[in-house]
Amino acid sequence: MNLMLGDLPDRLAAEYVLGTLTGGARRRFDALLPAHPALRNAVAGWETRLLTMALKAVPVQPSQRTWTSLEDKLGWTPAAKPSSSLRLRLWQAFATVATLAAVVLGTATHTVSTEAPMIVVLHATKGTEALVAGLSADRRQISIQPLQKVALTSDQSLELWALKKDGPPASLGLIASDKLTAVDKHALPKDTKGLAVSLEPLGGSPTGAPTGPVLFVGELTL
Amino acid sequence: MTARVLKSADDLETRLVDWLSRCALGDRQAFRQLYDATSPRLLGVVAQMVGRGALAEDLLQDVYVRIWKAAGQYRAGAGSPMAWMAAAARYRAIDHLRSRGARPEVAIADLPGHAGIEDGDDDPTQRMPDPGPGPATSFEAQSEAEAVNWCLGTLQGSQQQSISLAYYQGLSHGEIATHLGAPLGSVKTWVRRGLIALKTCLERCGWSEARS
Repeated sequence: MNLMLGDLPDRLAAEYVLGTLTGGARRRFDALLPAHPALRNAVAGWETRLLTMALKAVPVQPSQRTWTSLEDKLGWTPAAKPSSSLRLRLWQAFATVATLAAVVLGTATHTVSTEAPMIVVLHATKGTEALVAGLSADRRQISIQPLQKVALTSDQSLELWALKKDGPPASLGLIASDKLTAVDKHALPKDTKGLAVSLEPLGGSPTGAPTGPVLFVGELTL
Repeated sequence: MTARVLKSADDLETRLVDWLSRCALGDRQAFRQLYDATSPRLLGVVAQMVGRGALAEDLLQDVYVRIWKAAGQYRAGAGSPMAWMAAAARYRAIDHLRSRGARPEVAIADLPGHAGIEDGDDDPTQRMPDPGPGPATSFEAQSEAEAVNWCLGTLQGSQQQSISLAYYQGLSHGEIATHLGAPLGSVKTWVRRGLIALKTCLERCGWSEARS
């Protein structure tokens, strides 16, 4: 039965999109997608090829309740207090960041300060996401962690900036979109009044200044 | 399809891409606009697979949660935004069908564009939705949908039935075999050959890979 079957990745992508790739094979394929642009392209190709079939379905107007429930699921309900799970995640992130900052402080500096590390929350400029940053008391060590994975495409990076009272932002380097990053190459400029994270091309801003949208921003209150 | 309709379809595509990119930056208003513009279509896709009602609307919410969270993963130029969203809707419905093992009864004659249940030896020209001049001579945007319809029509009956059952009803190989009373191995071959024939036909019609 081995006719002209085409290449395997494209065949798997076709059956994945059609839905006939099932069970463990489907889960394994799903797991491969994030790291394999060629597979993602093959999937996108089949999704587009088969779109015409999807559009033959008769449109059905959803009820108003569906939007309301959707807002609930997204945590957007009018009483916009942080949910208990968000508070929990905030505290967990605080703890992680503070611990790391303390470890860095204890091992990497000559004069160990007894001051507690400073915590800065960087809020999303749009939306509810946040990053938590911990600063050592001497401001030479920064650790920063997103509370949720920040969605990036394969050609994008997140860059951390020190916002100064005067002058342009100073780059503190790239940070991970999904885990804790320890930034220790650049000391924070003395007149830093806040931290910001911008979306940049892969590898960081080519100009030395933020070129993409600012996704997160937080103030240093000390 | 007129040129005016095509233009508005292109406009919609541009707006969808814009809304998706703003969703990736956390813009809730853009998300609401995206939802208003696309939810009837996506609910139609889900309802076709699981039936209309509360379940379909629950699954639709999951689809939009996924779209909101993954908006940054959609890349303009890597397929149409509507295809990306319709696929998300189908994947959610398929997950549900596979996890429950329960599904509404399939009425083969109701499948959109289905030409009949006869076996593969009926006149293939009857399944061609449009015997017109052929897709390659038409508008580019128009020709894409037209080419897909035309190429689906050129598939053998058993291939077309198997792919339609999988696509519209979310059936697995085994379920298609049961419905058609055919051996599992044959169904797998029909699906595989059908997909390859579809792709080959589309490439012959000048389907732009750059787009997909």
